[in-house]
Amino acid sequence: MDRRNFLKTAGVACATAAGARSAAADTQEHKPEEFIGVLVDTTRCIGCRSCEVACAMAHNMPVPDPKTDGALEAVRTTSETAWTVVNRFDTDAGEVFVKKQCMHCWQPACAAACLTNAMKKTETGPVIWQSDKCMGCRYCMISCPFDIPKCEYDHWNPRIQKCNLCWERLQEGQRPACVTSCPTDALTFGTKRELMEIARKRIYTNPDKYVHKIYGEFEAGGTGWLYLSAVPFEQIGFRTDLGTTPYPEYTRDFLYAVPVVFFGLPALLYGLSQLTDRDGSGTGPDPKVVAETTDHQAAH
Amino acid sequence: MESFTYVNIFETKGLEYILLICFLILFVFFVRYMNATEKRT
Amino acid sequence: MSATHTSPPVQGTFRFIWNEMKPRPPFWTPFNMISIPIIVVGMVILVYRFIYGLGSVTNLNQDYAWGVWKGFNVITGVAFAGGAYALCFTVYVMRLEKYKPIIRVTVLNGFLAYVFYAGALILELGRPWNILNPIIGNDFGYNSVLFLVAWHFLLYIIAQFLEVSPVVAEWLDAKKAYRVLYAMTLGLVVFGITLSFLHQSGLGALFLMAKPKIHPLWFSEFIPILFFVSSIFAGISLVIVEGTLSGRYLKEHIGIPEAQSRAILFGLAKGAAIASFAYYFFKLLLFLHEGHWDLLGTGWGLWYLVEVFGLTLLPCLLFALGYRHRSLGIVQTAAWLSLLGVLINRLNVSLIAFNWESVNRYYPTWMEIVVSLTVVLVEVWVFRWFVTRMNFYPRPRAARAHTADGVPAARLVETA
Repeated sequence: MDRRNFLKTAGVACATAAGARSAAADTQEHKPEEFIGVLVDTTRCIGCRSCEVACAMAHNMPVPDPKTDGALEAVRTTSETAWTVVNRFDTDAGEVFVKKQCMHCWQPACAAACLTNAMKKTETGPVIWQSDKCMGCRYCMISCPFDIPKCEYDHWNPRIQKCNLCWERLQEGQRPACVTSCPTDALTFGTKRELMEIARKRIYTNPDKYVHKIYGEFEAGGTGWLYLSAVPFEQIGFRTDLGTTPYPEYTRDFLYAVPVVFFGLPALLYGLSQLTDRDGSGTGPDPKVVAETTDHQAAH
Repeated sequence: MESFTYVNIFETKGLEYILLICFLILFVFFVRYMNATEKRT
Repeated sequence: MSATHTSPPVQGTFRFIWNEMKPRPPFWTPFNMISIPIIVVGMVILVYRFIYGLGSVTNLNQDYAWGVWKGFNVITGVAFAGGAYALCFTVYVMRLEKYKPIIRVTVLNGFLAYVFYAGALILELGRPWNILNPIIGNDFGYNSVLFLVAWHFLLYIIAQFLEVSPVVAEWLDAKKAYRVLYAMTLGLVVFGITLSFLHQSGLGALFLMAKPKIHPLWFSEFIPILFFVSSIFAGISLVIVEGTLSGRYLKEHIGIPEAQSRAILFGLAKGAAIASFAYYFFKLLLFLHEGHWDLLGTGWGLWYLVEVFGLTLLPCLLFALGYRHRSLGIVQTAAWLSLLGVLINRLNVSLIAFNWESVNRYYPTWMEIVVSLTVVLVEVWVFRWFVTRMNFYPRPRAARAHTADGVPAARLVETA
């Protein structure tokens, strides 16, 4: 991490600490929850796409047939009918398979963008979508740096579709469907704190096998899903130019300024209007009177 | 990948201040240009 | 006004309004002939859209969540409506008498622009029946810029409606209502200018989180300021263009003396020149700050230069030239160019340079364009209805809602 990023992260950490103090009252009520996530070790993934099948079955979406559909031939994105997809990349280190889905950001752009909080960051970390609140404005799609939320354009009542980290299964005490279906332990489920320790340990014990970076540690302010790779992340379809700033921070200055403007500007405008009030009537000029006088001038 | 390098976020400030001075000077000329007819008549 | 005409009987008022709703001859004008088929087709497309979904008529895809209805009608349309707050500031806050004759019509224009262009947002909502959620608190997503913009649209439409309402009261000859409504004007103006400042910049702030998607030549953390400043001269340019068009096609309804209308026009041109001059230097400053010199040689760089020089600096200089030589033609050209420049700027940020690396490029379908035009044309129809029936312009004597001896037109209909 370079110096600039370090300073930014430190600043965010301070801000979080300050916020935590005020939130302390709430968290004392119930057991403090830690954000959970999944660690993806791309060196272990064999591209069997069991996770895609499990995901589709868990969420009533069309189930792909990995044996026959040949979907690995092209690089795909997630879609309104596939919350997760596995892609194949030909890299310096040979074939690499990468699972793609919602990253479940620490501070999600989509949730900050949502004007009805339909897109919601839950206490334990999964970012979920609530159909009764959503008005379908798709500002979440504009804002998400990973281009994850998808819209059902061909339906009269479209839903926004994206991975919800199996929110319904988590509440029943189960792990996400993709994690349980993975035959090679490429996916590890846990709290981010635990996952970071596991990921670091793997890098330290196999320093030549992995690139010394954990994607998702700081990207876009840190994400719930973390990735390990044997090749630079640019080669396996990741954007490495997203920065470490949480995306809601980009609108912070503007939103903070709004109440300030609302206090200051009306006072300034009213004050100006009184300063320019030559006849001392206190109100503005009556355009009705003007209409009559100009007409009068026109008549002559 | 990750590196520990110095990034000067104020690198372009010098140029920006030069532009600012240019703007102020040009603004005077711009307004004088527009108002030229008013003086003549 | 004679004291006997206090308030006409309710029945008479309704009959008066009914009569006023009817179109007035000449009906078969070129504008009507062209606009009616477009509006009809647009309506049919909209019915289809609400039954079969957005995908059935638009080319929206997963990379381009917002199309021309947002990019053109909402984002550009609202910028063009900036003239209302700019002129309200001039007339009510700075009290410049000169612009009084056009203040009513400009506020009307702003009101209708918001009703139709901010209203066009509904067309692109996937689930428009949930539109009241951020208003009724299901939930208040106050963490969102769009929440702010939505509330501001709503409040601004109400404020503008109340600002327009004295003219409606005058039309209905409701004198008491006129006095009450008129007394609120200054407060509404102050409130409205504040709202405008915040949502004009808010429309830009919508794109702050799209940082990795917008081409670096167009993205800036100062987009909100750019959007606000450009809405000033875009709004003024629209007032100039609108004034020119109504001067030609609604001549018999406008009683502004030639000399005064020229003075207003050149005053506006000067204001637009200064605002766009400042805006041009804003663009230069941000370019220097970002320092993407290497990108200028690319196709995107050329397109950027077209916007900055051809559609920002050129109209600015033309405004100055037109003002200096008091040339109506040059000022009008500058106003059209300036509007084009702001249109291109808004489309660049929201559509063209948005997701510029995407392979799923978005091109609107003919149906999207027809609906976009429908929104504009219906607005023009409604605008024409208002200005030909109420005193939005200083009226020439013959066309006044009140006849020379003070008998309101409503009464004449009633007795006829």
